[in-house]
Amino acid sequence: MIAGENLDPRVKLIIVMCLSTMGVFIHNISVLFGILLISFLAAVIFGARVFTIVKKHKSFIYLFIAISIMQSIFSPSGASILSIKGVSILTMGGLEKGLIMMERMSVVLVSASIMTTTTTRKVIQGLVQWKIPYEVAFMTSIAIRFLPVFMEEMRDCLTAIQLRGIDLKKIPLKKKIQIYSYIFTPIVAGTFIKSQKLSMAMETRAFRAFPNRTSYLVLNMQLQDYMFITLSILLTIAVIIVSSLYC
Amino acid sequence: MEENNNIPYIKMQEAAFRYPKGDFVIENTSLTLFQNEFTAVTGPNGSGKTTLGKLIVGIVKPDCGSVKILNRDTREMTLGEIGKKVGYLFQNPERQLFSMNIREEISFPMEIRGIPKEKIKEKVDEMLETFSLTHLEGIPAFKLSRGEKQRLAIASILVNNPGFFVMDEPTTGLDAERKKDLSELISNLQDKGIGMVVISHDLPFIKQHADRTITLSGGKIIDDSR
Repeated sequence: MIAGENLDPRVKLIIVMCLSTMGVFIHNISVLFGILLISFLAAVIFGARVFTIVKKHKSFIYLFIAISIMQSIFSPSGASILSIKGVSILTMGGLEKGLIMMERMSVVLVSASIMTTTTTRKVIQGLVQWKIPYEVAFMTSIAIRFLPVFMEEMRDCLTAIQLRGIDLKKIPLKKKIQIYSYIFTPIVAGTFIKSQKLSMAMETRAFRAFPNRTSYLVLNMQLQDYMFITLSILLTIAVIIVSSLYC
Repeated sequence: MEENNNIPYIKMQEAAFRYPKGDFVIENTSLTLFQNEFTAVTGPNGSGKTTLGKLIVGIVKPDCGSVKILNRDTREMTLGEIGKKVGYLFQNPERQLFSMNIREEISFPMEIRGIPKEKIKEKVDEMLETFSLTHLEGIPAFKLSRGEKQRLAIASILVNNPGFFVMDEPTTGLDAERKKDLSELISNLQDKGIGMVVISHDLPFIKQHADRTITLSGGKIIDDSR
């Protein structure tokens, strides 16, 4: 058996793209559930700590559930499950749409966890060797690198705003939205300050001084990598076609 | 201000805390803090000073033992409730400035809580005056100097009238003049009877104000002297 971590990072990227594409294009609830299971399986095989990642993103799961319920309420169809004074709140069709939405978002989250099994440096190198401009690849890696910093800043800001005596649980939704808009002010201002400092630091280290860059790290695709890429793309196309024809 | 000068304001009993998958940052620590005292917390990097500060304010909750603010366990309190009793100044004041406008920065939590406009205006004017911010009113908050941002952050916290104030490394990045301003501000707060915990490496600053100095090492209190 081929160990997932030995595969080229580009293979992982292709697999993630295939799974996410299937998640977006397929509308059948059972097929989507199957894709979600495959995504879980792939993440486990690649050595991603998928349960830890899901646990870390618990708040997103609540958001998924909230969006699914909203979807269910605002896109009613089929038999009514719950109605208040004759107005259908929850319908079979709405509930199904909500579940599809939840499955779709879970596929994206779980499949993306596969990318945590490789380093950002390798991902950049893979993209550069695929002729993606280095600047674009570098920006992508910077964005990934700074994500945990932004998450920490957001947590701190949320804590700080509550410590001003604001009880988030007790205030109405309208004011809650207003508070979240306040939280983005220090985050956005901080992002500008950080990017200014970072660009200055990069200039002093001669970033883009020469048009071409050489790299000590060079990725070489093996036969197994090509096999996985071909198989993933073919399977994705097949599943999408079959699902659109028969489901 | 609340009059609790003779009773413990914050009480930690055998409190321990560790971050997920990490070693204990704070080990079975007991500590009583009074409102009429200025307590300095010092110690080497990584000794747990900031975590102790966050435990005191309830930003992190103890894994075992308890932390009580005015006899209420922080586990049972929301951060909103805690914020009305204990203020917390982050090491980087930029993380706790939310508005582009200085006046709005101080007023918006009161507006959200539904306090009448006249009272808010009165309070904001008082804070701007006390913290020498009136002349900066037209300047966007993010364009202020570090010292000014810190004063604004302190004003925004103290507008809630907390009886206790925790500051994390307040002298970092301040020049001698700004440090002197901060010292004066702290002396004023001491005169008003606000209890304080200041986490700092700045020994001359600590010596100038502290009634009590706690030294941490490896998550344990190794010295507690008055």
